[in-house]
Amino acid sequence: MARRMQAPIASKNCDDPPIDHKEIEYLKKFLTPHGQILSRKRTGFCAQCQKELKLAIKRARHLALLPFVG
Amino acid sequence: MTSRLYESMFLLDNTAVRESWQSAKEAVTATIEKHGGSVHTARHWGEKRLAYPIARRHRATYLLSYIELPTDALPAMRRELELSERVIRYLITLTDEVPDAERELTAKESSGEVVIPEPPADDAPEREPRAETSEDEDDGRDRRARRRPPEKDSDSAPDSAGSDDAETSDEAKED
Repeated sequence: MARRMQAPIASKNCDDPPIDHKEIEYLKKFLTPHGQILSRKRTGFCAQCQKELKLAIKRARHLALLPFVG
Repeated sequence: MTSRLYESMFLLDNTAVRESWQSAKEAVTATIEKHGGSVHTARHWGEKRLAYPIARRHRATYLLSYIELPTDALPAMRRELELSERVIRYLITLTDEVPDAERELTAKESSGEVVIPEPPADDAPEREPRAETSEDEDDGRDRRARRRPPEKDSDSAPDSAGSDDAETSDEAKED
């Protein structure tokens, strides 16, 4: 039996300023316990915002503000 | 030759920062200006524990700076940053404008209002109680260890005294 999916985490208007790679407290919400980026199904973002999220997380990882694993 | 506005973040080695934050910061701004750039803001963004070790260090000081650089100077500046022993990582991003908050914070820092504390030792634990995820992983290992003992007794491998769980399971698979 499939596990019931939780409601999407957050939503954001595309007009809002793009997601900042420096806001790690905000970005942490979109990672699994193992540090993986959540899918669009879980985040509830539109395609454009999901791309912004991906980019922000990857930049934060480069700056060691977020882990790659863990 | 066009100039563009960039947001740049530099990770500075704590040993250099311990000697003098001012000189470490000035080394970076000097590098930028040497390549024809102008520094709009530059401030201490925080001293943090890194999510993973970089250059065998676990902590670093972040310098956030908004700069304007001519486009053809960028590769040369990057090369110099790569070679620098003080700067262990950097990220340069295009931006449209410098946030006002940054200008204020830079002004505060240069006026001496803000006191920048000395970086703690490299193995100092993070003050925030948030770093508890490691405990969750320990629980998983304990659960597995509790399940293992019956298998260990049946395998009875006396040679592997003091071996890891991984080694024991490998031996079982080879059998």
